[in-house]
Amino acid sequence: MPRSNPSLDMTPMVDLAFLLVTFFMLTSSFRSPEPVVVDTPTSTTKIEIPKQVFLITVTKNGETYIDLTNPNVKSKVFQKVCNQMNVKVTAEEVKKFAGIGSIGLKASQISEYLELEANERTKIVQTGVPYDTSGKRSELYWWAYYTRLEAHKDFKEREEEAKKQKLNFDKSNYIQFAVKADADARYDVVKHVVQVFRDAQVKQFQMITGLEAEPTKK
Amino acid sequence: MAEIQGGGGGGHGKHDKKRAKKQSTRVDMTPMVDLAFLLLTFFVLTSTFSKPKVLRMIFPEKLNKNEKQAEVKDGLTLILSADNKVFYYRGSTAKLAREKKDLDVTDFSKNGLRKMLTEYNYSLLSKLTDIQKRMDKLPEADTASRNKLEREAKDAQKASREVIIVKNDEGASYRNMIDLLDEFMITQIAKFVVADEEPDKVEKDLIKKQKGK
Repeated sequence: MPRSNPSLDMTPMVDLAFLLVTFFMLTSSFRSPEPVVVDTPTSTTKIEIPKQVFLITVTKNGETYIDLTNPNVKSKVFQKVCNQMNVKVTAEEVKKFAGIGSIGLKASQISEYLELEANERTKIVQTGVPYDTSGKRSELYWWAYYTRLEAHKDFKEREEEAKKQKLNFDKSNYIQFAVKADADARYDVVKHVVQVFRDAQVKQFQMITGLEAEPTKK
Repeated sequence: MAEIQGGGGGGHGKHDKKRAKKQSTRVDMTPMVDLAFLLLTFFVLTSTFSKPKVLRMIFPEKLNKNEKQAEVKDGLTLILSADNKVFYYRGSTAKLAREKKDLDVTDFSKNGLRKMLTEYNYSLLSKLTDIQKRMDKLPEADTASRNKLEREAKDAQKASREVIIVKNDEGASYRNMIDLLDEFMITQIAKFVVADEEPDKVEKDLIKKQKGK
């Protein structure tokens, strides 16, 4: 009986494995950790989420969380909002703030939050950015207001830069406002949040939804 | 990490006696494969394929206090309500009060809202389907005719007289709203607005009455 060699040629398998690894590495983008899980409703739309967004998350209980994908603009807006709310922040905190994900705290609570270690941050119960201070401008309003201003500035700066270097400038690449609300959130709460943004002259919104394959429902 | 079998290494000397050594180029790839699969598993599990999708919404500028809201003469008003119900009626609230009719009610099932909206938007929908059919027949390269058809579709949408106003009663969920917008997209409603104000008294009373049944 011939002695069979138990070792087999794994080269094709390894080739395939590395091909897949490369594919997944290149295609995947990492999500920043979210403090709340929001179950978005589904729709049949095929428009993809814009590259740069100011994300407003509305939870089931009507708390709002904010996030900005552009770290540069994010830190600027943070500073402006803190000035507006008379909260003192250090340059280091501003830098740190750009790196964290969604946040749903008052401006006065943020520096305390930033001091914590990343794994401790998830334990904090966030109460949402206040948006209903009847009569007075709410904190959420200022976030919206300064984001709109800074986003515009950022867009112009990039346009100038592209012009100087004679590069093509992607005009669609500006910060857009996106609402990500829980399917079971009350609609009037979402509407109220949208109203706050409309007060700040933001008119166009992207409502984030999951994908629904067929236009048929139960 | 890789070790070369049958090489001049110390511990592997079983087969290579005193003959000329046969150099094998085999490399033990197991650790590398292990690593590759580990990475593969990691990326497969962490990656999310479908980016979230968005529905675009444009809200009009807010009215000043001295500006008056345009009156609704002939439009469809939809009122989202609790328990996934949608109340609707045509025309103005004044007409509603005069006629003393009940509001119609429907839901988000296939034979409910979509059927109703398809019927309501029939004239525009048939025009657009017709344009789409002509578009499908055209060759890919014929951009001039394609553009012409697209313009035609846009004109049809602009000329559409079917206007829908969306209001919300207490208890309407965000899911209802998105479902409704989605239905508008499916039935190709060209003109709709989301009202700022709550349903007025006439509407509220009628809804209450209907719910009590």
